[in-house]
Amino acid sequence: MKIKYNSEIISGLIFLIFGIVLWIMIPSQIKTMESSAITAQTFPRIIIGGLVLFSAGLLLQGIFGKEKKVLVIMKETFQTEQAKKELRSLVYILILIAYCFLVKPLGYLVSTLLLVLAVMLFYRARKWYFYAIPLGTVCIIYLVFKMALRVSLPEISLF
Amino acid sequence: MENLLGGLQILMQWQNFLIIPVGLAIGIVVGAIPGLTSDLGIILCIPLTYGMEPTMAILMLLAIYCGGTYGGSITAILINTPGTSANAATLLDGYPMTLRGQAFKALQMALYASTIGGLLSAFALLFFAPVIAKVALLFGPAEYFALAVFGLSVIAGVSNKNFFKGLIGACLGLFISIIGVDNISGTARFTLGSNRLMSGIDLIIALIGLFAISEIVMKSEYNPLTDHKTIAASAITKDKITKDEYRRCMKPIGIGSLVGIIIGATPGTGGGLAAFISYNQVKQSSKHPETFGKGEIEGVAASEAANNGACGATMIPMLTLGVPGDGATAILMGAFMIHGMIPGPTMFAEHGNILYAIMLGLIVVNVFMYLMGKGFTRFYANITRIPYELLASIILAFCIAGAYSTNNRIYDIYVIMIVGIIAYIMRRLDFTLVPVLLGIVLGQLAEKNLRRAMIISDGSLSIFVTRPISCLFIALAVGSVLLFAIKGYKAWKREKTAAAEVVVEAE
Repeated sequence: MKIKYNSEIISGLIFLIFGIVLWIMIPSQIKTMESSAITAQTFPRIIIGGLVLFSAGLLLQGIFGKEKKVLVIMKETFQTEQAKKELRSLVYILILIAYCFLVKPLGYLVSTLLLVLAVMLFYRARKWYFYAIPLGTVCIIYLVFKMALRVSLPEISLF
Repeated sequence: MENLLGGLQILMQWQNFLIIPVGLAIGIVVGAIPGLTSDLGIILCIPLTYGMEPTMAILMLLAIYCGGTYGGSITAILINTPGTSANAATLLDGYPMTLRGQAFKALQMALYASTIGGLLSAFALLFFAPVIAKVALLFGPAEYFALAVFGLSVIAGVSNKNFFKGLIGACLGLFISIIGVDNISGTARFTLGSNRLMSGIDLIIALIGLFAISEIVMKSEYNPLTDHKTIAASAITKDKITKDEYRRCMKPIGIGSLVGIIIGATPGTGGGLAAFISYNQVKQSSKHPETFGKGEIEGVAASEAANNGACGATMIPMLTLGVPGDGATAILMGAFMIHGMIPGPTMFAEHGNILYAIMLGLIVVNVFMYLMGKGFTRFYANITRIPYELLASIILAFCIAGAYSTNNRIYDIYVIMIVGIIAYIMRRLDFTLVPVLLGIVLGQLAEKNLRRAMIISDGSLSIFVTRPISCLFIALAVGSVLLFAIKGYKAWKREKTAAAEVVVEAE
């Protein structure tokens, strides 16, 4: 499959859809009883209207104005250097998402120690002190926030 | 005068003199690490300032800002990688000097130029800000709204290569600012039925997500084996700046400082642009322009005086008009708000003593920066050896703790991750995040004044064009939009002509 694209087309399309969805949501998300010329809906309408307008402009610019890249989707496409870089970013994002699920049951200390471990493994750190320094720092951050700043970071709550 | 003396009294507390070196050390270290910027340093340290007095807190953050701008020159000179975008011009001559065995000399000149530029800029802030604030006191709601529109349109145009992308970013920022309960009518807006969104998205939470988390994900492509540049300790020689070199550099430092102050005071610019303009000015006026780019010490002086010269000046529009000059000052504006002060002309009347303490403190910051730079240059050079993978995990742990401590709720950790991932996608699509940040910071100010102005005018939009100052700002905003549109059209035409020529040549 062959796709012609540039960042203007992709971002224009994403924000145009996003803007239209927000515009449709305005009456249900801002329920105002005001009867004056300017209400709680006015400013959001200006902003979201602007978002739709500028996104449409960007999309048109991408379609007619800018040079397009050609992406041919084949098996080999997924083995290129660029695809591997994209995959690395995706894995990193997945690590962060997994952390969000772990932080509540495991608490800050355990979940962040696991996160740091995952990040060091992600970068394929080999020396032992590359693991020891950030893991130790997490413990120090935990203690500094708890003792000095009086902020109790989330504790384990498995049940 | 009364405020000045009151400010001096507040500044003279010993805690301030303790926190300034701490902030500077953090700033220099953060600035000297490629990939970490002073913006990030300020964001990470905001949660640490919650318990501090406002003067102490802002001085610490200002010290990080100034220290970071100077610290970025260290890596620009030593490893040809600017620590922050403001130091990009420094490497043009700084790195060739390192290759010629004059690294120490270049680092010392960067320090002198940064200190002089920073001091002059701090004095400019002290003298001009109160005067501009007095004029700005004449502003009503219509002028404020027009000013916010002008600020957003200029910054959206300057900060992005694509004007539409800048405007979309600003709209997104404004949208984030309206989430939560409307202050005027009490109506919930875009809370998606969640009670947690009633108070909106905290500025610091948005900042951590936008800048820190997105930066960490951006660096996921970093390969420790190939991307980590470092320098041998032996490369830092002991050569000193000669008297003749000092004499030659006085003019570039003077030009750089002046350019820094003028450019810095213009919204939407910042130290990076000031450094390049100053570098070009000095090169053009030099009797030996051919030596520039090959290790000319005057080049280092010109760019470093300009980027630190912009530091104080970027605060002028922020403190007097409530319109930040660049990304770092937008973050600082957020810090002011967190500490209960709303930047703008009324701030001089409401918190005059504190403001003078901060402006006088900026002078102290620059003096300390010189002392700390002078004593620890060799130590800072070693900062470049810290591997990024170590920093990434430590920053992540710190961001999470900082986000949680803002409201003591896990929900904010989820928000920084979501905002961070969206910001990462935007950066990959060639968006810059400064307009988003400005939208968040200026959103409430813009809406509040739009609604007040409309109430005064009984619902008529004519108020924005019948009042002279408001009309001027609206005209400037429209003018800048047209200017950027024409510029974009010309660039597109050039691109098309070049592409057509390539096709003809190929045929």
